[in-house]
Amino acid sequence: MPEWLNVLIRSAALFALTLLLVRLMGKRQTAQLTFFDLVTAIVLGVLAAAVSLNIISVSKGLVALAVWTVLPILISLLSLKYKIVRDIVQGRETILINHGKVLEDKLMEARLTPEDLLSKLRQKNIFQVADVEFALLEPNGDISVHLKKDKQPLNAKTMGINVAEETVPQTVMLDGIIMDEPLRAMGLNRNWLHTELEKAGVAPENVFIAQVDSVGQLYLDLFDDAVKVPKPTARELAYYTLKKCQADCEIYALSTKDAEAKKMYARSAEELSEITEHLKPLLLK
Amino acid sequence: MTVASHVKQTLASLKGTQAALKNMAAVEQEEQAQKLLKNSADKLEYIIEDFQHRLKTLEFEEPQYKGF
Repeated sequence: MPEWLNVLIRSAALFALTLLLVRLMGKRQTAQLTFFDLVTAIVLGVLAAAVSLNIISVSKGLVALAVWTVLPILISLLSLKYKIVRDIVQGRETILINHGKVLEDKLMEARLTPEDLLSKLRQKNIFQVADVEFALLEPNGDISVHLKKDKQPLNAKTMGINVAEETVPQTVMLDGIIMDEPLRAMGLNRNWLHTELEKAGVAPENVFIAQVDSVGQLYLDLFDDAVKVPKPTARELAYYTLKKCQADCEIYALSTKDAEAKKMYARSAEELSEITEHLKPLLLK
Repeated sequence: MTVASHVKQTLASLKGTQAALKNMAAVEQEEQAQKLLKNSADKLEYIIEDFQHRLKTLEFEEPQYKGF
């Protein structure tokens, strides 16, 4: 058997074997590789290469491969069960900044230079150490940062704005094809969709993407971008109609001479203003 | 336009909005929002009743403007 054929067969066999071994070792994502995982992967690769090029004998190589597969599997199983094993094998997170102060000894422990720390912070879009309240080095070498309260991004809660909870919009049409399952999940059907499309004046074949939001408004994107799709306004319309009714009630209350009717209109206006106030976060956004 | 026809217009708007809110409540999956929509539609019901009652009085006072 010529040498090249030998290498070919070995390589192919090892390729399949390595694939199998790697699958056996589980599917921790490559992005979460700890240093230990990395070492294991490199050793496996080198062994496979050495055997396929006939640098070491097949029997020796297979034994080594087996050990380097079984041990990591064993350790990962153990580390699932015992925290101590986890801490030793995967390492623990290191607190680098606490209460806004850089912990130099911890930095030293993690073998990070101040430049490294600054560069890692910059990758998180933080250019000033003073903005950081708390930062720690994850076992996989990433840094996680908690900003000081006044540097945290603005959200509805800190602004004291009342927002409505909303479920995810469902995609009901893709590429002109109606998706029945999402429609059913919203409690709707094809008939409803056809009616809505007709209301918007759009042919179903012309729809590229159609999504339904939580209150059943249809948002469309068409193949033909020259056609202008009306934006759904049911929510805004409901809100502003209520507002108008409220104003009407106030006018009637002012213009009527009947005392009882005056009271009735005033009460209605008040109630309407309450309703619109409650509905505002849901209808206007 | 007479007072009665103004009031009728408002009444129609109220009824339309109530239907729209009920429609949204039927589709809405999120429980809290659904409850809010339903409650608002129910509250509108009382106002609509008041308006209907008032309209009867108006039509009684000015029977020549009865109907539309």
